[in-house]
Amino acid sequence: MISFIGRSVIQKIITLFFVSIVSFLIIHIAPGKPSQVDPMNPKFTPEVVERFRKEFHLDKPLHVQYLYFYKNLFTGETVSWKDNQSVLKKIWERFLNSLPLFIVGTIITWTLSFPIGIRSAIFRGQFYDRSATFLSYLLISIPGFFFAYVLIIFVVNQFHVPVIGMETFGIGDGASLPHIFMDRIWHLLLPSVLGATGGIAVLSRYVRSQMLEVEGQDYIRTARAKGLPPEQVHYKHALRNALLPFVTMFGLILPGLIGGSVIIESIFSWPGMGRMAYEAILARDYPIILTVNFVSAVLVLAGTFISDLLYLIVDPRIRL
Amino acid sequence: MNIEEKGVNPDFQFEAPLAPKRTRLQEFWLVFRQNRLAILGLFIFILFFCCAIVGLFMTSGPDPLFDPAMIRLQEKLRPPLAKPNLDSLRREEIPSLGFYLMGTDDLGRDVFARMLQGAWVSLTVGFVAVGISVLIGIFMGGIAGYFGQHHIRVDHILLTLLLISGTSLVMAHSIRFGAVLLCLTLAYIFYSFSTKNRSREKTFPSWAKVFRKNAVSVDTLIMRIVDIMLCFPSFFLILTVVALLPASIYNIMIVIGLTSWMGTTRFVRAEFLSLREQDFVAAVKTLGAGNFRIIFRHMMPNAIAPVLVSATIGIATAILTEAGLSFLGFGVPPPHATWGNILSDGKNFIFDAPWLTFIPGIAILIVVLSFNLFGEGLRDVLNPKLRERH
Amino acid sequence: MTIRRVLILAPMLLILFLLQSYFWVPTYEEQTKGNPERLNEYIAGSIGDASLLNPILTADSASSSIENMVFEGLIDRDEQLHFRGRLATSWEVLEEAFFYINKNASIPGLAKADPQDVANFLRKATKKKNTTAPGLKISLDHITSISVIPARNYSVTRQIKGTDTGEQKKYIKISIAAPARIKLVLNRVDQDLFQNLSLFLGKDYFASFHGENYLSTDPVLKKERSAKYAGELLPATEHNPFLMFNLRPGVKFHDGHLFDAYDVKFTYESIMNPKNLSPRIADYEPVKSVTVIDPLTVKIVYKRLYSPAIGTWSMGILPEHLLNHNALKKEARLLGKDPNTFSMRQSSFNRHPIGCGPFRFQEWKSDQYIILDRFDGYWEGPPNYKKYVFRVIPDRLTQEMEFYAGTIDSYDVQPHQVKRLEKDQRFQSFSGTAFGYTYIGYNIRRKPFDDPRVRRALGMAIDMNKIIKYVLYDQGERITGPFVKQTDYYNHNIKPVPYDPKGALALLEAAGWKRNKEGWLTKDGNKFQFTLITNNGNDLRKAILAIAQDAWKQIGIDVHTDLLEWSVFIQERVNKADFDALILGWQMGIEPDLYQIWHSSQTNPYQLNFVSFKNKEADDLIIKIRQEYDHDRQVEYCHRLHEIIAIEQPYTFLYVGKWTAVLDKRIVMKTVDDAGQIMYEKIKPTKTGNYSFYFNKWIKLPEAPVFMDEG
Repeated sequence: MISFIGRSVIQKIITLFFVSIVSFLIIHIAPGKPSQVDPMNPKFTPEVVERFRKEFHLDKPLHVQYLYFYKNLFTGETVSWKDNQSVLKKIWERFLNSLPLFIVGTIITWTLSFPIGIRSAIFRGQFYDRSATFLSYLLISIPGFFFAYVLIIFVVNQFHVPVIGMETFGIGDGASLPHIFMDRIWHLLLPSVLGATGGIAVLSRYVRSQMLEVEGQDYIRTARAKGLPPEQVHYKHALRNALLPFVTMFGLILPGLIGGSVIIESIFSWPGMGRMAYEAILARDYPIILTVNFVSAVLVLAGTFISDLLYLIVDPRIRL
Repeated sequence: MNIEEKGVNPDFQFEAPLAPKRTRLQEFWLVFRQNRLAILGLFIFILFFCCAIVGLFMTSGPDPLFDPAMIRLQEKLRPPLAKPNLDSLRREEIPSLGFYLMGTDDLGRDVFARMLQGAWVSLTVGFVAVGISVLIGIFMGGIAGYFGQHHIRVDHILLTLLLISGTSLVMAHSIRFGAVLLCLTLAYIFYSFSTKNRSREKTFPSWAKVFRKNAVSVDTLIMRIVDIMLCFPSFFLILTVVALLPASIYNIMIVIGLTSWMGTTRFVRAEFLSLREQDFVAAVKTLGAGNFRIIFRHMMPNAIAPVLVSATIGIATAILTEAGLSFLGFGVPPPHATWGNILSDGKNFIFDAPWLTFIPGIAILIVVLSFNLFGEGLRDVLNPKLRERH
Repeated sequence: MTIRRVLILAPMLLILFLLQSYFWVPTYEEQTKGNPERLNEYIAGSIGDASLLNPILTADSASSSIENMVFEGLIDRDEQLHFRGRLATSWEVLEEAFFYINKNASIPGLAKADPQDVANFLRKATKKKNTTAPGLKISLDHITSISVIPARNYSVTRQIKGTDTGEQKKYIKISIAAPARIKLVLNRVDQDLFQNLSLFLGKDYFASFHGENYLSTDPVLKKERSAKYAGELLPATEHNPFLMFNLRPGVKFHDGHLFDAYDVKFTYESIMNPKNLSPRIADYEPVKSVTVIDPLTVKIVYKRLYSPAIGTWSMGILPEHLLNHNALKKEARLLGKDPNTFSMRQSSFNRHPIGCGPFRFQEWKSDQYIILDRFDGYWEGPPNYKKYVFRVIPDRLTQEMEFYAGTIDSYDVQPHQVKRLEKDQRFQSFSGTAFGYTYIGYNIRRKPFDDPRVRRALGMAIDMNKIIKYVLYDQGERITGPFVKQTDYYNHNIKPVPYDPKGALALLEAAGWKRNKEGWLTKDGNKFQFTLITNNGNDLRKAILAIAQDAWKQIGIDVHTDLLEWSVFIQERVNKADFDALILGWQMGIEPDLYQIWHSSQTNPYQLNFVSFKNKEADDLIIKIRQEYDHDRQVEYCHRLHEIIAIEQPYTFLYVGKWTAVLDKRIVMKTVDDAGQIMYEKIKPTKTGNYSFYFNKWIKLPEAPVFMDEG
């Protein structure tokens, strides 16, 4: 066990190192320079641009820039080129904004997918199954922003309530606490549902196939044969064993924390991670792009690590 | 040859028709047919394909039947089925159908013509992107699965490093130093080839043995590369690269392809790992077949099923990704019309001209849905574990 | 079966919980009509967030829209685009001019050129009633005093940049034996002064002064090198125009501190401080010195004639007491950072700005909103609105919906939306000419764009009026040259290029381009084809790209188009001059200074004359314009320059946009006259390029008022 943990931690660190190199190279080799360095503004003279380059260490060779950047990152000194704010602080702020969206989205995905998936496995090939299949694929087949606009226009025109932003603008003054809380929940509803559609479709399909696989096993036949009520067979015997792989998926949802959806966040004016990263790309704000990338890589690796561990703990067949 | 032998042997007469009654394809079709949604998907898929090809011919060339680039500003934002205002148009500007089947957009271009052209472009984006990813996936997965146990020696790694640093030095205008490194690399390659051919018994001095030590297995190396690629959030990575590179339809296809091969690699590797241990592979091997013959003739057909499924769904995802990129302004640039950029251009006029949003939006929805349903049907058919028992 | 029940109940409960939140949300109706406080706040919607709120550090439009509310400059432009005082009550533009006594030159009618004699000679000339040359007379009339600066010796040390060879930094010592100098004080700025003086001091009096004869360098340098230093250290003649600002007494910053001349000096010094990386440094580079005469008078001396300089003082003034060296050191220590490297860029001031503008900063949530409260101590009287809110809504469509619902008061309306919103009874709309124009620029370095006939023909093939009507929905006007259309620098006599495809073909034929069998234009067997590029993210440019491509195809030109991401577009194509033709726009300042965009010295890579427009006469005019302080003469030069550009057609000038504002009808201007009578007026557009000129007087009323003139 210990050796497994040690080995995989070392492996992950090496991977992380390569990720950092690759992302650094992608960004620095690509054409286009930070907007501060290369603006279309008559006020920027070559001397000013030169000074910016120096300040950002852009005049140094690549490997030196690399060292500078990661040294600053680990000492927490990295600052955004756009506004000189600490990158870690900025990311933390945005992270807190994205977190509720992520949590509600995940809860919706997981609570809805299981009943849908299990039922369509039970009623396999019947009308319920087919319509569930159809619906879940329908949801992931709509271009996200098209769906979002249609939903927003529908809700706003029908119910005359605001849907964009993290809360109704200006609600802070004078409203009671539950009011504010519920208002926030309402504003979470549409974006998180939109974010969850893909997840629901994929996960419910996965639940269905897992259930089907398990239902084909001999011990289920035995259970049926000995006269257990079908409900008990499905929900007790089959479900438990079908659940096993999902334990590992808990680890894999971690990266979703940072991925966020650029599109949904910009349509809903949600000041989250995705939007910040997107704007950073447009402005070539390298420190932000690289840090977001690094943090998300750490999350992915941590996620796989956790899921490996969980699998070890849950599945008695695996012994190291 | 089995059949012949058995046919000769009278003892086995009862079991003579050992060959399957139906070919694999027939059997496959039989199962597939039961999934009505998948059939529907396949049907729409074929329809879409035909549309795209017909569209390609009708919208390209010097004097196309439907000109998607024809601008008639005075005819902007006409609703679907509207008759053109013949007085204000020159003869060549009158739409071929005599009316605007799907209306006109904000520059008075015929949306129907643009949709036709876009069908082909969207299809190409999907197919080429997935083609790239499947090719890379099969290649990497195949190598990892089949040659996984082979090791890469320290000198290989050093050689690659030398090569890379030499090339980058040359590119960074330090040509003399770079050239020296490149020459060193070449020299070593020649040297190692010649020693390999001459004799194996030649002993190396002990310090040189370090270089011939095994560093890492091929499998580990490839799977680590996959891990590295998986560390990037995919849409974000695509967005970064597309935003940084000059926009062109090829870049988008390549970038989507290059960022989505990891799944295929894993499937193929897993299949290969299990296939490699099976008897028929061992049999072919003992018959003296070469590695490539084994891989491509014997193992690949057996490993292709999950790849096919993920490719079908991959095309759907690629079309959606392109639409998402278009929304952010990084989609396929004009003059190519794709459904994604028709949709994202149209969304500005959603209150003035809803058809500009709804026609491409629903078209994408239907096509992507059909791909997904078809892919799902394929998965059901190709996965024997999930097959219903009859 | 509990598991089953849980599995079905849990999602149901979750969905119910999420849906019931609807009943807690205030509807749009409650937020707007049902909320009386809403009338006292003005909410502006914006696509992007501000970056920093410090006028000397930012150049983006989102940040400056807030900075204009929080900070105040010395002067700004009134509704007729003339300067008016803000923190300065009045100002004067004067000049000090210098020239060195040239011992070698002889002055007609003066035997020995002793400095005192030259001065006396000049003094006498100014008193003379009638002089032969009229220009000289005018120049002499404006001289108020003449004095002599005696000769002196001094030395300076200069560093040679080890540029090409990469050698060590080298220092050279320059010893200067400066001859005596005559100082003239003028009561206006006169760029022709020395030219006129040479009429009677002798034609070559100034030209034959060679500064390098008066300096010696250690180590000895090449002749050109030392001539360069001489030009810098011992110029034969020197114009030093200067500005005297009289500041408004009793103006307070939002924290109660009094504003004075030291704040002006500090603002200038902060801009010039290399540590601050101010993007405005180029504007203030011609400043020689800023001196505080007394706390309410500040004198700004310029190194050379540079007429756009006055306009730069509309820059917001920073509070010195919060940002000076000691204050920054204190803040650095508080934050635990190195005080030596800590600069104004890192200061928290940039997120909590304090100025002396009409609104004081309240709160900023990144990418959500910025709230400003009105400043009751504003010197011109507090604004009517209690609050100004800057709300970030990155999506245009949702912006429009929020506007329609009444939760934002203004946003950047798109032309097609104006068309629709104008019809709505609830809104008033007004528009005016903006300052930016859009053009197609041709790379004159490349064939066939080096021929003005070809450039003109290309312009003639595009039906601009149709574009304005259908693409811009009349939210644009034709433009013929690079000056702001509503100023008198713009030459209204110049007719725009007409839409005339036949004429275009005739012009092209004259230039040697003929149509071949397939209809393509060819010359010497080469097809006329090129690539037209622009940046993505701008729908209007994208539309013009498609229209131009189509229009040129009609006359037989094969045009490829390309949309590039902004930074790639600028970095790879524009800066490296790697393009055939491009669509781009310029945001003009009111000042008619065209040096960076049109002067032939600015055609190198990374400079802004990327089309490589070169014209001798235009070069002279451009220099003259930026040196001329007299408005009428500037106008005269500008009209001529405009003509040249219209003939040469280096750009096809497409259109100048109109800014359009759609506002709730209930928003009006409220003024209180001396008798305490409240008066309401309809908001009127001004020439200033935005509608919010009288913003401080705006207020929203519960009901839309009816005005007499509406009938």
